[in-house]
Amino acid sequence: MKRRSFVRNVSLASAGVPFVFNNMQFEAIGKKLFTVPKAFEDRVLVIIRLNGGNDGLNTVVPIDQYANLTIQRSNIILPETSLLPIGGNNGLHPVMTGMAEMYNNGNLSIIQNVGYPDQNRSHFRSMDIWTTGSLEPTETKGWLGSNFSVDHPDYPDGYPNIDFPDPFAISMGYEVSATCQGLLANFSHTVVNPFDAANLPNSAVTNDGTYYGDHMEYLSGIIAQTNQYGSQISNAANVGNSLSSLYDPNNPLAEQLRNVALMISGGLQTKVYILNVNGYDTHDNQVLETDTTQGVHADLMKRVSDALNAFQDDMIQLGLEKRVLGMTFSEFGRQIASNASIGTDHGDAAPLFLFGDCLNQSIYGPNPEIPSIPINQVGLPMQIDFRDIYASILRFWFGVDETTVNSLFEHTVTYHNIIGGCELSVDELSRIENTSFVYPNPAEMQTTLKIDGDGGMVLIEIVDLKGSCVKFIYEGTLAKVTHHIPIELHGLEKGIYRIIIRKESKSESIQLLKV
Amino acid sequence: MRLEDEIEVPVSLSMDPYAGSWGTDQAAHLLRRTLFGPTFQQIQDSVALGMNNAVDQLLTLIPTPPPLTYSPDEAVAPFGQTWVTSVHAADPLPTEGARRGSLGAWMMERLNKREYSIQEKMCLFWQNHFAATDTFDSRATYNYHELIRTHALGNFKQFIKDMSNDPCMLLFLSGASNNQFSPNENFARELLELYTIGKGPQIGPGDYTTYKEYDILEASKIMTGWTVAGFLSQVETNTSAVFNPILHDPTTKTLSEHFDFAVIAANGQDEYADLIDVIFLQNEVANFICKKIYRWFVNYDITQVEEDTIIPVMASTFVANNYEILPVLIQLFKSEHFYDVSLRGTIIKNPLEHIFSILNSTVSTPAYNFDENYDLYLFAYNGAAVLGMNYATPPSVGGWTAYYQAPAYSRLWANSSFIKLRFDISDLLSVAGGINVNGNTWGVNHIDFLDGLSNPSSAVDVIDDMVTVFCPKGLDAFKKLTLKGILTNGLPDFEWTIQYNEYLADPTNPAAVDPVKLRVALTLSQLFKMPEFQAL
Repeated sequence: MKRRSFVRNVSLASAGVPFVFNNMQFEAIGKKLFTVPKAFEDRVLVIIRLNGGNDGLNTVVPIDQYANLTIQRSNIILPETSLLPIGGNNGLHPVMTGMAEMYNNGNLSIIQNVGYPDQNRSHFRSMDIWTTGSLEPTETKGWLGSNFSVDHPDYPDGYPNIDFPDPFAISMGYEVSATCQGLLANFSHTVVNPFDAANLPNSAVTNDGTYYGDHMEYLSGIIAQTNQYGSQISNAANVGNSLSSLYDPNNPLAEQLRNVALMISGGLQTKVYILNVNGYDTHDNQVLETDTTQGVHADLMKRVSDALNAFQDDMIQLGLEKRVLGMTFSEFGRQIASNASIGTDHGDAAPLFLFGDCLNQSIYGPNPEIPSIPINQVGLPMQIDFRDIYASILRFWFGVDETTVNSLFEHTVTYHNIIGGCELSVDELSRIENTSFVYPNPAEMQTTLKIDGDGGMVLIEIVDLKGSCVKFIYEGTLAKVTHHIPIELHGLEKGIYRIIIRKESKSESIQLLKV
Repeated sequence: MRLEDEIEVPVSLSMDPYAGSWGTDQAAHLLRRTLFGPTFQQIQDSVALGMNNAVDQLLTLIPTPPPLTYSPDEAVAPFGQTWVTSVHAADPLPTEGARRGSLGAWMMERLNKREYSIQEKMCLFWQNHFAATDTFDSRATYNYHELIRTHALGNFKQFIKDMSNDPCMLLFLSGASNNQFSPNENFARELLELYTIGKGPQIGPGDYTTYKEYDILEASKIMTGWTVAGFLSQVETNTSAVFNPILHDPTTKTLSEHFDFAVIAANGQDEYADLIDVIFLQNEVANFICKKIYRWFVNYDITQVEEDTIIPVMASTFVANNYEILPVLIQLFKSEHFYDVSLRGTIIKNPLEHIFSILNSTVSTPAYNFDENYDLYLFAYNGAAVLGMNYATPPSVGGWTAYYQAPAYSRLWANSSFIKLRFDISDLLSVAGGINVNGNTWGVNHIDFLDGLSNPSSAVDVIDDMVTVFCPKGLDAFKKLTLKGILTNGLPDFEWTIQYNEYLADPTNPAAVDPVKLRVALTLSQLFKMPEFQAL
């Protein structure tokens, strides 16, 4: 399709534009950089979207702030004695017994005060920010779609195929997830009932070369893809298994998660599952006036907590617990002070949950500080950028190399060591990654070496096939950042060379073709 | 998929009057783009009218009666009367619910009228442009949509002025809480970014080529002072915009170099109009709006070629006519470029076009009491919402993503989930008995559709006419044969003729009618699931 061809054409002719750089990186070194270690390949991410803006302060209550919270939200505050204590200084909503149990078993982390700079309190805009992983309004790709696009820039052309027979992502329900929007198409396939094969009538078309022809090819393709994915999914669901007795058939989220368990255990190679819970926009009657532990918000949190606990129990019983990581998110938290309608208005930061067996389990970030005098229209200030959580998941859970992850985000990423207890550690990751490369390669008159400095000495030179130095590039220290060093190739004969990088710790050798 | 540089470009880049042949293909193309599902008869009539008369007739507005009270939850307006100028109820919730339902049903009823007018297509265009969501007082929501309807082909500058202090808009973009003590940028930002001049490339901090963040600040001050009265009032018969001088910023405002440093002197309740006059001095307004018109009516992809050839001609027509919309559309629909065959079928139908191309093209109107019809219309409204298009509630102030999100544009209407739902809905309407509310049904009108074709007793002609009505660029011979095989149930063509003639001889006898109806239903249901039906 079109945008892609534009990118591809430009990248051959010029350099310097960010997306061209990304593309070069892909073109230049291809599979080597992007092949992830085997252990990452079957890892799955389950995302639960709490749509509408979850009231974090009635979800994870900072107990050390309880007195001040009483001042701010007396009409909705949960009784201190009712809270389920976790981690010493926090209490979960009393309906969240399932997630409290998960916490006690080491299967739940809480990241407090997650948000982004300059909070936008519009549902739409803020959800766009959370789904794209970008504060740039013109960004349309989702954070997961951008990542999938790195290795699969032509999707959906040629998919599914023998290497990738299954959807990259599945969105439970009727809408594709904006998190998975790629360059040309959305990587998420929607599933309402996994046992339903789609069975849409396939219809061959001829592309007559016009816009219409291209539409016909797209439509014919999407029908075929829906059928092919549909049959893969129903096959997986039919052979899949679910062992937990904790799923409540009256809890729609639990039922959806049970279907996810069936698909994962049935061998579907889908990397991401996205589920949605609506109803968090609790401007009024968030709690029952007579009992603040009950009401709309309590029902929502109970549904989520019970469902996640059942799913985690299922993963453990199925022996899949090392393969599945979960995350919740909501577009914003709500204001510190409640309003007169026994509800809360749009706010800023809020806690985010991670669940699974591969966590460095913790409550990340300090408790928010709640002022002692009543304040209006104030939300919790952001302390941890949600984009850093995304980046950490991509890097530590999916094993995407750091350079690629950094290139997916506009800000300077701060990694959080949230994954642990499973085979691969951060140290192993940095050993796996081949951190240096040249682009473009092959090159004509000049090329660029991308190298991560380690603060120590480095010697860089170009040698010919006999090992003789033909060009000296650099000798000295390189600061601990990523460097892009231009290399002039004037005067070199056409042919194969090696760029030798000698560091105190190790040496690297990169083949370069001069054309 | 084709690469961009491989896609056949329009042969004609001329906005001169089209002088080629005028037949079914051209007439059907014009109607597909300007109506929600033309009938076979409308296509024939347009051929007979000729291009000039057809376009002139299409570009007229049709009087539209207001929505009626149909639900017992309405506590004020009498059943069968309109509620749009009634006071609100003491307990507004049930009444407001009833009014919202009435409004949604009324919107669908309008689409289903099959008037020979571009009106409804323009109303949806402007709803996509302004994208205000419904307020919790449907009288204001109704007035906003009436404002759109009355200005749909009118003067765009006046349209923007009237929209600037429309109560629904004041509520939608926080204009009603924009005052000199705490200015709110919400409306001023969208006025520039989305409604008039459009946002250019960012060329400096807070500088978007066509305007600056600074201009938004100044414009928001100019817009201060407006509030909304009568909201949910049990006394006022309508909502209204009220200018409150105390809330208005009385200073002199100055815009940036992008507006030639225009000075807007303090002018109280007329100041907003002064600002809009200044904005409209910039020709970029015409460019921005004409591109949106082009994208809606011609093609999603505006390449540099169209930017250099087509858009400037449209924009200069717009400016030369003091921002009257009608001359721009007349020129477009009579142009050589519009009828270029490479521009047929470039748009994938939106959900309302999908549903109403099925119902309108098969001349189907629900035939119950008006309140029962409203129930059916409301079902259609919700059906379109499920397919991604909730008429009164666009997903964001930017409108529906299919009209701005590159590179997919209208393909977003046919993603892996929606394609299945589109087929579900077309099956429901064609073979599964139609929409059913309390036993009242509304779906494809198989028999009237069939009877209205050129030669219903000929299976070949029936299929050809179906293709004329439903497929923008025809259907290959193999698929036509497939459809004919369904129509004739695999029997020789003359068997269809016999069957149809039996029905003609005894048109009230179910034994004669039902077999014909079933064959048409099965054929259409198959056609509606072909890629060729999805475009217009």
